[in-house]
Amino acid sequence: MNLQLTLAARYLGGRKLRAFLTTLAVVIGVMVIFGMGVYLPSFTAAFEKSLLAASGQADVVITHKTGESFAATMLNRVRAVNGIAVSVGAVERIINIPPNFYGKNSTVTGLTLVGVEPAVAPYLHADYTTPTQGRFLKQGDGNVAVISERLADSLGVKLNDTVKLPTTQGVVKLTIVGLLPGRALTGNEQIIIPLAQAQKLLDMPGRINVIEANLGVTGEAERRAIVEQIKAQLGNTYTLGGLSSGSEFLGAMQMAEVIFNMLGLLTLAMGGFIIFNTFRTIVAERRHDIGMLRAIGANRATIISLVLTEGLVQGVVGTAIGIGLGYLLGVGITAGTGAVMKSVMNIELTPVVEPPLVVVSILLGVGVTLFAGLLPALSASRVTPIEALRPALSQVAQRFSRIGTLVGAVMIGIAIAGLLTGFFPLVALGGFMFLIGLVLVAPALVRPIANLFGMLLALLFAREGTGELAQGNLTRQPSRAAITASATMIGLAIVVGAGGMMFSLTGTVMQLFSKTLGSDYLLVPPSIAIWKGDVGASESLKAKISSIPGVGVVSSLRYAQSSLQSAAIKGSGEATISVLGIDPVEYPKISGLDFQKGTAQDAFAALAADERNTIVNGILAAGANLKVGDLIPLATPTGLQEYRIVAIGSEVLSMKINTAYISQANLKADFHKSEDVFYQVNLAPGADVALAEQWLNQIVADYPQFRLVGGREYTAEFSAQYDSIFIGFYVLLGVLAFPSLIAILNTLAIGVIERTREIGMLRAIGATRRQVWRTIVAEALLLAALGTGLGVLAGLYLSYVFVEGLNASGIYKMAYAFPGAGVLAATAVGLIFGVLAALLPARQASQMEIIKALRYE
Amino acid sequence: MSLIQTENLTKVYGAGETAITALNCVNLQVNAGEFVAVMGPSGCGKSTLLHLLGGLDRPTSGSVMIQDHPLAKLSDDALSQLRRRKIGFVFQFFNLIPILSSVENAALPLLLDGKNSAQAKHKASEWLTKIGLGERLKNRPDQLSAGQQQRVAIARALVTEPVLILADEPTGNLDTKSADEIADLLKQVAKTWGRAVLMVTHDPRIATHADRIVLMRDGQIVEDKRNAKDEG
Ligand SMILES: Nc1ncnc2c1ncn2[C@@H]1O[C@H](COP(=O)(O)OP(=O)(O)OP(=O)(O)O)[C@@H](O)[C@H]1O
Ligand SMILES: [Mg+2]
Repeated sequence: MNLQLTLAARYLGGRKLRAFLTTLAVVIGVMVIFGMGVYLPSFTAAFEKSLLAASGQADVVITHKTGESFAATMLNRVRAVNGIAVSVGAVERIINIPPNFYGKNSTVTGLTLVGVEPAVAPYLHADYTTPTQGRFLKQGDGNVAVISERLADSLGVKLNDTVKLPTTQGVVKLTIVGLLPGRALTGNEQIIIPLAQAQKLLDMPGRINVIEANLGVTGEAERRAIVEQIKAQLGNTYTLGGLSSGSEFLGAMQMAEVIFNMLGLLTLAMGGFIIFNTFRTIVAERRHDIGMLRAIGANRATIISLVLTEGLVQGVVGTAIGIGLGYLLGVGITAGTGAVMKSVMNIELTPVVEPPLVVVSILLGVGVTLFAGLLPALSASRVTPIEALRPALSQVAQRFSRIGTLVGAVMIGIAIAGLLTGFFPLVALGGFMFLIGLVLVAPALVRPIANLFGMLLALLFAREGTGELAQGNLTRQPSRAAITASATMIGLAIVVGAGGMMFSLTGTVMQLFSKTLGSDYLLVPPSIAIWKGDVGASESLKAKISSIPGVGVVSSLRYAQSSLQSAAIKGSGEATISVLGIDPVEYPKISGLDFQKGTAQDAFAALAADERNTIVNGILAAGANLKVGDLIPLATPTGLQEYRIVAIGSEVLSMKINTAYISQANLKADFHKSEDVFYQVNLAPGADVALAEQWLNQIVADYPQFRLVGGREYTAEFSAQYDSIFIGFYVLLGVLAFPSLIAILNTLAIGVIERTREIGMLRAIGATRRQVWRTIVAEALLLAALGTGLGVLAGLYLSYVFVEGLNASGIYKMAYAFPGAGVLAATAVGLIFGVLAALLPARQASQMEIIKALRYE
Repeated sequence: MSLIQTENLTKVYGAGETAITALNCVNLQVNAGEFVAVMGPSGCGKSTLLHLLGGLDRPTSGSVMIQDHPLAKLSDDALSQLRRRKIGFVFQFFNLIPILSSVENAALPLLLDGKNSAQAKHKASEWLTKIGLGERLKNRPDQLSAGQQQRVAIARALVTEPVLILADEPTGNLDTKSADEIADLLKQVAKTWGRAVLMVTHDPRIATHADRIVLMRDGQIVEDKRNAKDEG
């Protein structure tokens, strides 16, 4: 082993606790980055895969841009194109399966109902011709279905059994006439039935929503020419190829990935601070050793490599452990959220470790450690040999750089100026400048803040002088105190920042919730807000509910998908839009929108009029830069239709989705949709509640796609669900806050080690164990107060940046709420951490054997 | 030809009104095999002289020559190498690395010079044995007495076979008996092994072990005499 490695190993071995703490800092940073890296890409990958699977195997898949149905006669236009070998029209519809629909133990949460022409479809799907049991569909079949063996297994059915399915006509039973080999695709299992039957069950006579075609040529150029011809035939309201829906969601995922990576980087930066701090102390502590080495002939390069080798060892070990733990973290999060993801989106998650992730983690982990060790190493190389000849004295009153303070102050100034402009890129840039500025200014703040708190402590620990001693210990090493405080600061800033964002989000959501979903009863489909997969009910259900004695008002939502082209929309210039059909008379009686522009009265009156009027929600208005009075061309199955915006308003279910509200009459006329996907019911004053509820239950029993819930119950359920989504986030915050605990612990431990002789002297001249203990704890409190103060400040700024960022990205629209409770919690946590961190070193210091301490080198 | 030779060696700390002339035109020559004690009141410039001779610091004016090579021309790396190969230091506070054993501490200069670890340790144990620490090779500094620690430091200074040993108050931290032993050892270094030894001391009794006593005051050499006892 060479000298550097021997010395590194021995020094690390000799200071096990400190080596452990420093390495832990690297471990946690790497762990967060690696863990997130394992989880998030697997999530996006799974999502993309299921999208790909949905786009099928045919050469060309044609859908309407809106995703909605179109007349079956469109197939003729496609068939008119030369070069198409075979083309078929089909109906494909995701059907969300209500819980317990197939029994308690069933894991089936969604199915794709596929209606095909029995005679033609096998030309496109070879597997249809080779059922493992029974037969494929044939002309004239009625309520029969073909499913895969795997689905049959999971439903527990055999050939010739029946399987039930929720449809717009209520529950229907289909006889299984054939079993197909399992498909290799992810996504929902399919139930294949005759096209005519599907059109009937889904209430879409004469309509299809997908055309699949195989081309008679193989040359790439020829294929492209044919695709162009099809496009020319159909016009620009059709999409060729895979589905474009979901891309919006992918965007949101990528945003989340960026945010998580940012958090990981901040954590690593925090780790960097801890390491930097440790190495500075190491160098200060070993001035004598280093000076001696220089005196006996070590050159600067040797000293630098000595310090860096030690960093390297810790970086390598820390990174290795961090990657291991990070993998476990990733797997843990995957397992924890897997169930939810499966039921909500039919996505199976498997953690993936991509080689680039490993490389990046190693580079970051080892790199940050080496980088953090570099400055101290350079400063070590400047230790003069003469230092070795001087008697040992721990350093007094380090100086801090005034230039640094100045630069920091300027950066904070710029950050605040950026905040005032309200222009997001500047606000975001300001966030980082604010943090860096605080880090730079911190050393200058140590003395005044320590003095301030010192006075408080002096009151607490009166007469013993321990408060003053603690204060003195801090102020003579302002840079080191500041670095520790900075590490705490970054940790708490992340917590307060992210917490503030969630607070704003929750506040906005819950406020909207009580305003827009305040009815007595709700009929809820399996998936709310992502309406696409929901199977509604025809108008007769609404009529049935209305006729129940005691029911006062019934309001329903209907859904259609559309898209809007506008130069203002970022990226493709096109956005997918949820069109919700409301009854302009009934809806305001029972529910409501939170209007940002316009009034409820005028807006609903305008919707009731026999014109194309719409209310758009906030996120759509912001994303497409829409104003009241604008005309927007919505893509409909009947072509583009211009709607006039009469107001801007949001409700909770659709707050994060581009939504346009139109009258149900217009939805029927333009989108051919008349099924209700969501109901709100209010009882009349003085109604017999028990009786009404009994009736409701009875009626809903025939429509298992809906769940009847009480309004208040639903609010509670919603908020619980909301919280459960965020639990993972809170856990992550905890993981992030942990390093700040270590930062304080680390500095204090180092401070104790460094002052061993002094402490021995204090004890020798009569300080009690208790006094020594208090000195250390007081010092910790001071450090924690400093870090917490700055951290809360920076956190508030960051939370504002996050909120603005999400608003600007168009994923969420929300008002900034000041996280008062979060600030209090962070302050409490910061101070408690401070004391916790002090316990170990304080114990160590107070238990020190006096003689040993005095002899300590 | 002398082993070391200084010419008008001057060191001024600070500038302007607060400037302190720690060394003022010192001319000194020391030969191989000579054991010189430097004495004088506190602050007279003894340590400063040693620092300049050992290339630890650079003079304000004047020059230091070791084996006719002027130090002024050497880069930091070259000076490091010179300290590694030609000069051995012994400090008042021993300055052993607490986490290394006696052998490892003594072998340090060789290891720094890139020598093979086994050879370096072999050489170090030879020297430790020669100066009477053969039994204590594996012990760490905190398991040794002060006198023993200083012996390890001397072994460390000798291990590279340097031509010059510089010792700044090597007995300052020792009791009388250990101090005498160390002084004897340094004398042996000069006499038996033929090195030039320059030792700063406050203790006249320790100085009597030397061949030659250099007396300093206010940065200047005021007396340079053969040791009477030694001559006799
Ligand atoms: N780094 C320095 N900066 C300024 N002045 C210094 C420095 N080092 C030494 N001096 C001054 O130079 C003079 C000589 O110091 P030096 O250390 O050589 O004295 P010394 O003879 O070794 O004293 P002692 O016997 O107390 O060790 C003293 O006045 C001292 O104050
Ligand atoms: Mg001196």
